[in-house]
Amino acid sequence: MASDHPAVLDDNRREHSRPLSPQRGRDHDLEQISRPHTPTRGGRDELYSIVSQVGEGTFGKVYKARNAMNGLYVALKRIRMESERDGFPVTAMREIKLLQSLRHDNVVRLYEMMVSNGSVYMVFEYMDHDLTGILSQTGFSFTDAHLKSLCRQMLAGLAYLHHKGVIHRDIKGSNILVNNRGELKLGDFGLARFYQKRRRSDYTNRVITLWYRPPELLFGATVYGPEVDMWSAGCIMLELFTKKPVFQGTDEIHQLEFIFKILGTPSPERWPGVSDLPWYELVKPKEVIPNHFRDMFRKWLSPAGLDLAEQLLAFDPTKRVTAVQAMEASYFKDENPPAAMPVGLANLEGEWHELETKRERAKKRRRTDGGTQ
Amino acid sequence: MATDFWSSSHNKRWIVDRATLKQARIDDLHYVENAEQLDFLNIYFANVISKLGKRLQVRQRVIATATVFFRRFYTKNSYCETDPFIVISACCYVAAKAEESPVHIKNVVSESRLLFSREILTTPAEHAADFDTEEEYGIKHFPSDNSKLAEMEFYLVHDLECDLIVFHPYRTLMALCGKEAILNVAEAGELGIGVDGGPRYWGTGEGKLELEEGPLQMAWFIINDTYRSELCLLYPPHMIAIAAIYLTLVLNVTTRAAIQTQAQAQNQPAPPPTRRSSRTSSSGTHKKAPQDIVGFMAGLNVSMSLVATIAQEIIALYTLWDRYKEDATPESSRSTFGRPPSSASAGTKRSAASRDTSVFMGSEELSTAGTPRLADDVVTPAFLTHLLFRMREARLADVSHPATGRPVAVNKMLERTQAAG
Repeated sequence: MASDHPAVLDDNRREHSRPLSPQRGRDHDLEQISRPHTPTRGGRDELYSIVSQVGEGTFGKVYKARNAMNGLYVALKRIRMESERDGFPVTAMREIKLLQSLRHDNVVRLYEMMVSNGSVYMVFEYMDHDLTGILSQTGFSFTDAHLKSLCRQMLAGLAYLHHKGVIHRDIKGSNILVNNRGELKLGDFGLARFYQKRRRSDYTNRVITLWYRPPELLFGATVYGPEVDMWSAGCIMLELFTKKPVFQGTDEIHQLEFIFKILGTPSPERWPGVSDLPWYELVKPKEVIPNHFRDMFRKWLSPAGLDLAEQLLAFDPTKRVTAVQAMEASYFKDENPPAAMPVGLANLEGEWHELETKRERAKKRRRTDGGTQ
Repeated sequence: MATDFWSSSHNKRWIVDRATLKQARIDDLHYVENAEQLDFLNIYFANVISKLGKRLQVRQRVIATATVFFRRFYTKNSYCETDPFIVISACCYVAAKAEESPVHIKNVVSESRLLFSREILTTPAEHAADFDTEEEYGIKHFPSDNSKLAEMEFYLVHDLECDLIVFHPYRTLMALCGKEAILNVAEAGELGIGVDGGPRYWGTGEGKLELEEGPLQMAWFIINDTYRSELCLLYPPHMIAIAAIYLTLVLNVTTRAAIQTQAQAQNQPAPPPTRRSSRTSSSGTHKKAPQDIVGFMAGLNVSMSLVATIAQEIIALYTLWDRYKEDATPESSRSTFGRPPSSASAGTKRSAASRDTSVFMGSEELSTAGTPRLADDVVTPAFLTHLLFRMREARLADVSHPATGRPVAVNKMLERTQAAG
């Protein structure tokens, strides 16, 4: 018996879903969620019933689910265990540790952990949309004041993370969540990690989705800090206005070329030390391209907006603005209109996530393909 | 600040009282001769975790976290219903991941196999006689399959309620002694390290204690030793650190001398403008004015009676540990653990010792004066290994043939949920 079953004599504990911390509600509003339900076998009476899939995280699917006790919606992120021969994924463990220690209006809340049918689920507050999804819909149009608010909320979330010594390392549209009250929250901490403020250490440079990856990582830097998130934030800021990702490269080299085409090529004056980066000789620009940034984005952004975006997209990581500095920018402080939360989202039909947007696009493609045949 | 100790799961959920610990051991108590044997098991398990940790070459911090995980797991489970050895492996495996220095699962399995088979083979003949055949050992062989450990890890993380952030006394010790630079390197990846300075999360204290390398190491070793007990479940880590500092100050020769000088100076009729300045100025035997140690302790603004309680418990642990011997033969063990710690007041002389050492190990050379012990007063790891087997066997027998005629509920998890529902 002992040899074919580690430690526990009975396997019943894997059978039914049970919140991992039944005896204490961490917050008043959570008491309902955290209370254990009557244990019953079979799936129908489980605490959470899955409504639909809403996303694909770094290490598992994300579902929308409804709490049977109080009717509230949550997001369930399933941690894939069966494919992990090494047991609990270290990235998942990192994400849990990080989220348990973060609490901010602009960071998605992890309510609790749950085990059901041999899987571990992270239970998050439910967010109706993500940025990629919400920018692709046409039912609600954002005013400049709304976009300013979204940009500011993103920076506030990043400022908090960086203050806590956390680099997100995967800021992109589908990881920025928005709810019907117009609140923006950063999600998916699967690639995030703690960093040391006083001592720079070596990390992997294979982080951040290509389109949002800063040039220093594309040049092979492994010593970096929170500035990498700020580049991504700059990409997102432009995307808020243009409604689609700005630098859509197909591979690392193409990505750099794309960036150069818009921002020009980095010169030693603009970015001292660029030539010392590991892959510089391999991927350095072949010709000098001037900076077209302002010409290209003048029609989208206000002057102060352009200033801020340019500071976020500074080539030299040491010159890139920090999140705290960015929040002090004239774009937020002086220029009209003042930021306003897009509360009108409450009236928007449907829920918009990248996943649905992708599916919609695929469907359309199939339809048009079918039509041409 | 959401990441501080006070709002952490460690403080809110994992500091328990004695009654809870007693309740957790209630089943095990049926299968041991006396409660003291359970205390010996606490030492035994911590030693096994430490040994496995050293084989895996993880930092002391990982070993400490693994030990806390182990203790937390057994606030919800019984020794007699589980296999503590695979739990130990899982604790080390999870702790290494949680502390950002992961080791490969294969490594954990193979090192566990090596270590545990040796643990079992050191059995002296008289205890082996209790067991009928060699096959009995076969059951206890550690599974070579990675998935078994992965499965155990799942149960472990479940019972830990995914609370993987553990605070340790080391950080307080280093902060109080102004050694934060060392701390930063030692604890990379720990929460809040990236946060600028910030105030201490308890007390008022701006005061820093200046400890020489020797006493500082002794305090570190005492903290290592506290993991041999259930102190980490009972008291907040910063209180344990202060108790360790307190014991060091009293037991270490140099610091004790300093305190005595200070006390004498105080007793002499001096005309002090304020008390504090008189203390610091009146004893001029050292190069610079000696620091006000008593004032430092008072300035910590924590409950001194609680510090004294913890210190008492640490001393009680050493008294017990004195009778625990790693070596199978009583003769050789006398030289290792021959002395109660109160007489080990000279402190550690080993300057280059690594950070995973215990105070006991540090004071080895002093132990020749130890009083000889009777063999039956002494507890060995082999004895405890067999005690665990017997507990497990007896429990299995009871479960399959209950004396009451009623089946015994084995799954405590299920019991609890039923009670709640």
